[in-house]
Amino acid sequence: MKRESGSADADAPPSRWRVRGRRQADLCIVWFCILGAVLVGLTVLALANITITELADPLHLIEVAASSGVLGAILLTFSAGANAVLLLILFGTPLAYVLARAPPSRVKGVVESIVDLPLILPHTVAGLLVYLLFMRRGWLGAPLAEIGLAFEDAYPGTVVAMLFVASPFFVNTMREGFEKVPLHLENVARTLGAGRFTTFRTVTLPLSLRHLFNGAILAWGRAIGEFAAVVMIAYYPFIISTLIYYSFTTSGIRTSRSIAFVVIVVSLGVFYLLRRLTGYLGRYDDRV
Amino acid sequence: MIAFERVSLRLGSFSLKDVSLSINRGDYYFIIGPSGAGKTVLLEAIAGLHRPDSGRILLRGKEITDLPTERRGIGLVYQDYSLFPNMTVIDNVSYSLRVRGVRRQEARERVAGLLERFGVEHLADRYPGTLSGGEQQRVALARAVAVKPDILLLDEPLSALDPVTQERFIADLRRLHRDEGLTIVHVSHSRREAHMLATRMAVLIDGRLVDEGDADVVLNAPGSREVASFIGVENILDGVVTANHGGRATVDAGGLRFDAQTDAAVGEAVCLCIRADDLIIAVDDGRRPDAPNTMTGTVIQIVENGPVAEILVDAGMDMTAVMTRRSVRDLGIAPGVRVSLRVREDAIHVIRSALSARE
Repeated sequence: MKRESGSADADAPPSRWRVRGRRQADLCIVWFCILGAVLVGLTVLALANITITELADPLHLIEVAASSGVLGAILLTFSAGANAVLLLILFGTPLAYVLARAPPSRVKGVVESIVDLPLILPHTVAGLLVYLLFMRRGWLGAPLAEIGLAFEDAYPGTVVAMLFVASPFFVNTMREGFEKVPLHLENVARTLGAGRFTTFRTVTLPLSLRHLFNGAILAWGRAIGEFAAVVMIAYYPFIISTLIYYSFTTSGIRTSRSIAFVVIVVSLGVFYLLRRLTGYLGRYDDRV
Repeated sequence: MIAFERVSLRLGSFSLKDVSLSINRGDYYFIIGPSGAGKTVLLEAIAGLHRPDSGRILLRGKEITDLPTERRGIGLVYQDYSLFPNMTVIDNVSYSLRVRGVRRQEARERVAGLLERFGVEHLADRYPGTLSGGEQQRVALARAVAVKPDILLLDEPLSALDPVTQERFIADLRRLHRDEGLTIVHVSHSRREAHMLATRMAVLIDGRLVDEGDADVVLNAPGSREVASFIGVENILDGVVTANHGGRATVDAGGLRFDAQTDAAVGEAVCLCIRADDLIIAVDDGRRPDAPNTMTGTVIQIVENGPVAEILVDAGMDMTAVMTRRSVRDLGIAPGVRVSLRVREDAIHVIRSALSARE
């Protein structure tokens, strides 16, 4: 033991350097924390501001929170977001798998750029693209209107606008998940008699569950927060963001602030629950 | 059983170039080669995971180039075991039955004996992430043979195991090969594993199959200089045939005269391959210095390796001999000592430099 401690001392740098090194490392982290705290502080400050103001007038808050318009808009927003996410799971999961497994090529690069396009477009442009395609005279809107599916100022319009802006969040997260699953696992499954789809269903997808949930939550969060793209095609029925905008421009800041506070509380609660859920699901991902 | 007919395949930076080979039923067939030679690509091509750009692959006498992997009836074990981390050991092993429609409980019951045979029955409900390397390897092997394939592909299955576990696993493989009558194709870069397990083997270098045949022949009488070098022939001497009387040739190698058996013509360039354990070493007594197949030199270095010692001798060229450590001590061989090296004529393998790998 004595010999070990002696050798450790011999290997260690002189104490003056050690202290200086430690102090430098600490200072570095402290500065990082200070800079990071600016961002966190901004959000906390904004939340504190609205919370203190709203809690000062609880009767008004309860009145707004209990109004059917607000509750309806919240339900509509969450359900339209959930619908968009379900469609993304249906169409985005196969796309993400193909992108994860396809070898690099020019075609793949082009498809990846198209997938990422909604990320870089101004949301009004995204909304305009959706509107032009799904309006009553649009390439897709016209034939779908023939069979009774209208998008302008209608629930499907809200869903399709949300789907458009949220798709990169889901597809990219899902693709990362698939890329993390070693190809060897799929190869072995196939030698054991599983076809491609059975391999996907029994090995690849279960090992990507956590990414599926994370992608879905990210996409859902992005979808329910959308304003510009939705308002271009479906100003009505009101979702939360359009309701707040409407209320802000017609009734003033007091009501719109109360609606915003209710949305913050509900969203925080829902996201917290979902995050807890994903903590338990697909935990074996860690062993890939 | 398995035949490649002029198969070429490119996969990123790896490629197979015009590979032809045949693996017979019941072979323990080794494919060895340096890293990046394309060994795993070849193995995956047998499994149907890569389609050749040209050439044909035949399995059990039928062309299977386009047959999907899941219908080939071939077991595969990777170096990293590739156990499904989302399934318990017993679910891993019974996976092949489950995908064939066998109910979960029945599948579990059917593989219980297999778990016992591979000594992993106590791990049945554990997840792969909690197992040691050796345990994972045995589970991977049990899973691969669960539906009784007649061909088993092994991709460097021993490289991640510690020496003790390696020995145990080699015994498992020998037993599996003997008892099940399996045709095993084993990819490795280890010559030692080939010595211990192979009945037939191929050497793959840079995507080209440079030698193929019975393991004894390839390991002891390599077909080319690069194969000799890769399989670890310790002494490879370049020389020229100076005389040949009915297949008994005299070769001049760097001023030393060797008698060896070859059909090479006078003036033809050859390589002489001499295994270290075929060199007889003795303290030089100054007698018969000019005798054929005899060299004298000075010991440069002795490297002890377990019960044996490798002795590096400067005899005008570096020669490596091997003998037991006890013999080294008894003969008084040490660095600086003059020694003589002698090799029997029939222990010299002659490679004719102008000819291709194996005629």
